[in-house]
Amino acid sequence: MYSVVQPNGWVALKLPSDTTKVLQVIPNTTISLGKYGSFPSNLIIHRPYHLTYELEDKREGESFCRIRVVPASELYADIFAEEETAAACSTPADDSDRIISATDGVEYSLVDPDSGTVVARSNREIIDDSARQTLTMEEIEELKRDGTGAGKEIIAKLLLSHTALDQKTSFSLAKYKLLKTKKYIRRFQVLPLDVPLLGKYMLEEKDASRVLDMRDEMIGLVGCWANVHYGGEDVLLEGPAAGDDEATEKERFQQLKEEVKPMTGRWLVIDDTSGFLVAAMAERMGILYKEEKDVNDEEASTDAKMDEKDDVHAAEEYPSEGTKAENGEEMTKSAGEQVHHRPRSHDFQVPFSQTNTITVLHAANQPNLSFLTYYGFDIQNPNHPPHPLVNHLLTLTWLQLLHPETDASYSTLPPSVSATQLAAMKPNRRGTYHRKRRRFARTRHIVDSARAGNFSGLAVASTMDNISILQHALPLLAGGAPIAVYSPTLEPLVELADCFSVPRRSAWMNPETAPPETVGKTAAELERWEGNDDFPLNPTLVLGASIQTSRARRWQVLPGRTHPTMTDRGGAEGYVLTGWRARPAEGRVEARGKHTAKRRKVEDRGASESAAATPLSDGMQVS
Amino acid sequence: MAADTIKRVSPFLDSGPHTTPGTLAIVALSRDNLIPVYLQDSKGAHDGYAEGVVVNTRYGSFPHSTLLNVPWGSQIRASNVDTGSRGRKRKRPEGDAGDAAGEVNREDAAANAVKQAATASSGFVHILPPTPELWTASLPHRTQVVYTPDYSYVLHRIRARPGTRIIEAGSGSGSFTHASARAVYNGYPRDGSERKGKVFSFEYHETRFEKMKNEILGHGLDGLVQLTHRDVYKDGFLVDGESPEAESIFLDLPAPWQALPHLSRSRPQTAEFAADGEKPWVSPLNPKKSAYICTFSPCIEQVTKTVSAMRRLGWVNIEMVEIANRRLQVFRDRVGLHIPTERGANLTPANVGEAVARLAEIEERFKEHSKASRSGGNSSTPTAAMDVDTNGDVMADANGAPYKIWKEGRLITKGEPEVKTHTSYLVFAVLPREWSAEEEEAAFKRWPCGGEEKVIGSLNKQARREEKIRIHGGKNKDTKKKVEKDVEAESKEAAAEA
Repeated sequence: MYSVVQPNGWVALKLPSDTTKVLQVIPNTTISLGKYGSFPSNLIIHRPYHLTYELEDKREGESFCRIRVVPASELYADIFAEEETAAACSTPADDSDRIISATDGVEYSLVDPDSGTVVARSNREIIDDSARQTLTMEEIEELKRDGTGAGKEIIAKLLLSHTALDQKTSFSLAKYKLLKTKKYIRRFQVLPLDVPLLGKYMLEEKDASRVLDMRDEMIGLVGCWANVHYGGEDVLLEGPAAGDDEATEKERFQQLKEEVKPMTGRWLVIDDTSGFLVAAMAERMGILYKEEKDVNDEEASTDAKMDEKDDVHAAEEYPSEGTKAENGEEMTKSAGEQVHHRPRSHDFQVPFSQTNTITVLHAANQPNLSFLTYYGFDIQNPNHPPHPLVNHLLTLTWLQLLHPETDASYSTLPPSVSATQLAAMKPNRRGTYHRKRRRFARTRHIVDSARAGNFSGLAVASTMDNISILQHALPLLAGGAPIAVYSPTLEPLVELADCFSVPRRSAWMNPETAPPETVGKTAAELERWEGNDDFPLNPTLVLGASIQTSRARRWQVLPGRTHPTMTDRGGAEGYVLTGWRARPAEGRVEARGKHTAKRRKVEDRGASESAAATPLSDGMQVS
Repeated sequence: MAADTIKRVSPFLDSGPHTTPGTLAIVALSRDNLIPVYLQDSKGAHDGYAEGVVVNTRYGSFPHSTLLNVPWGSQIRASNVDTGSRGRKRKRPEGDAGDAAGEVNREDAAANAVKQAATASSGFVHILPPTPELWTASLPHRTQVVYTPDYSYVLHRIRARPGTRIIEAGSGSGSFTHASARAVYNGYPRDGSERKGKVFSFEYHETRFEKMKNEILGHGLDGLVQLTHRDVYKDGFLVDGESPEAESIFLDLPAPWQALPHLSRSRPQTAEFAADGEKPWVSPLNPKKSAYICTFSPCIEQVTKTVSAMRRLGWVNIEMVEIANRRLQVFRDRVGLHIPTERGANLTPANVGEAVARLAEIEERFKEHSKASRSGGNSSTPTAAMDVDTNGDVMADANGAPYKIWKEGRLITKGEPEVKTHTSYLVFAVLPREWSAEEEEAAFKRWPCGGEEKVIGSLNKQARREEKIRIHGGKNKDTKKKVEKDVEAESKEAAAEA
């Protein structure tokens, strides 16, 4: 993650109204915050994150508003004053009359630090704000137009001209001030658009269903239970030896397949959250953000160019982030040039690392990973500028996984011509030739390595039937690999967990009840069990299937007014099913345990029921 | 040098394809019954066992030889191990062995041949590679443990990612240490100077510190976790006088507000810090990045004090949450008279229909019975046959087809018998990096203002119109349409804002 705001990078601006604005910081533009005003984007580029700024009034002779960093002491001035007041009058005798009726759960603060004690009065009298406000609409509009003191002046005026101000209790007064502050204060905070913030933004302000209502708690659980972490240093396959000529081409196809030796540190992801889950996993594996260039080094190297046209400069330096139309042309051009300058590797050289990778299985022809564009990665771009995901993200369709021979891009051999013919080609046709061959090698590698399995973990957040996903994904997992399946609702996970229930496992192991097709098959053969009505999945392949949910409850912490917030987001709760890929022993395995019938009789119905149905309950072991 | 640098990666980070001697493995008896075992390749009989080192569980005995060099996740059958005739010195009743949740024996083995373990007729376990989750569920308790629902959320919120330097105080039972080591791991540093993700863990309690130290070493996490025995309230967070340059902080301390001043970017303006004013202030934080913090306190009073201290020390975006985690159990609710007698089934009517049918049947039987007694016959008429329920043991339904107990009944979920309702309050906050006037000036010079060409973000009516006119010259038809659309959108927006 960058330490300062990058030109053409994405940031989130938090406004006083508690809304978040997500935008790309294009240099030399004006960023408008709507009613709060506007400022030049250059004022936040290469500045730190998390600072709170205040829009200043335009200086004379300048066409733009400058911004000022608001120190924390100023942000918390009201609270400090209140704390000091509380410390000064140590006997809270007059508290009895206070009625706290905070229905909206906002943080409110006291107004006047100078007056010391504020006389507390109950707010049983209902105050109609508009009726008591003596400033007319026109006057307020005029004040807004003047826009002095970053909105503080108008707030002060509004408070002073409120006729019933002295009738307000300290709490309602604080609330009134907060209300007006949120409306008029011209402040904002610049936040990095990382995965937690993107999730929060999608969930609370945009379309929660696009990320399947996945809250921070759930991302944390899925990431941990799927044991997603940095998978080791990149290992690249050796390219074909120099001077590899056409005669060896056929062997080369074969080689492509053979050299797949599945390594550890590879995760399988099924993602119907437009790439949000992939982004979260990539963040955990350290392949989401580009490595930060030292701002100073960069400055030294580019200073010479500084006097040239600024636009070009920016586009060249950050080609990947220039997704806006203007920069697009230059971007592809510069990327294309780069490729030319580099000594071209063999077409069949696989660009992917063999470890620390994410393999995404997708249902449509193309994967939907649109959220990755916020991190400068575009899956559709064939000549992608450097980005860690380029060599670590492998995507394939379900068709390619299950029936690769029917997929044209896998089964159709690429064109192959002699070196002399190639030299005679027009440059753009030659480019196409190489591109086709490279794409073929990539597809081959992705499909072959995925089919070879041995994945270190599985993370699922899908709208598809989880049972059908696991039927094909389970055989691909290494033994002991963790599984985490997220679902916004409980029911699909309950069905899935039931596939691995103890009674079902016992029935599977019992020759009398087991499906006749399974009799006499080895454990390895049964891994690919295609499922039937009684046993949708091989119930012995998953160990310790269990469902959980988490919820973070937010609190307001203020001196003397600490309590949970009154409202929170509703909607889908979100659940995670976790388990491990087991490797069942060959043949029938008898369970051991003391089946104490006597004890069972004494227990109540609920307990005996759980003994029958809990996965591996304590009293007994059931195979 | 080569021997030193080629270090084995911790089994927590890369467990390899199968179990190997000398590493940690988790023996899974059941979902909540996990035993951490350091696998040993024993050379001879051990502690009276001819098979070498043996793990004894309630589901049988498992010599390490049967657990070694098998793929992870394997189901392992129990072995017939002579537990009776070995040395009588530590006799214990066999029935209790299970309650002790298994026992691992590691004493020096005699140097004779290991007996080949004979497979038992029943009993099994699964063997799993260690992960922070499994370790947390099985670890030896020393203090209150930070469980997975809490640490997964915390690590996500404090942005512990590969390459992050994280401060943790106190180490406690080590669950958070393991989880954070996995989160920040981006390779072992090749030498002292290479900067990699690292956990700087501080523990006040000496015994706990020693135990943790051994654990970290045994788990191959040294180099990734730097453990320091320290009272952080008094002595702060520097390691050998040098800054850890941390970006993330997790404080699991009784009084976080006493440790907070040490986590400042410049010298705090209090008496105790002013005292050693001659020494230059070294901040334990990364000077280039925002620092994310989380404190973990069970009591609300602690939170109030912590938050107040944070505000005064310049932390922003302060937020307090608590995590409620629930685990759900899945059952099949089998209710009904049509269900064969079996354990767990509720032999009451499933619906009104069944209830009525049963009542009618009883009524009928009663009538017949009274008729029979009136007629003087005392013999057992067909009633006896009717009394015999479909079956008890065979498990077949009325038609004789096998009764599929695993499919019968409604799927339901329930919470666990006991729930954790409160772990601790989590206070999150961020400390932005310092930004000097000189830096601001340099940045302003590099990115001069005044030459703005267009407007982005939310536009007000006038700005948007000007923008359109500037781009399209306000002439062609398309533009007009677009402008109209924009005006529409605007009026909506305006309405929404109002």
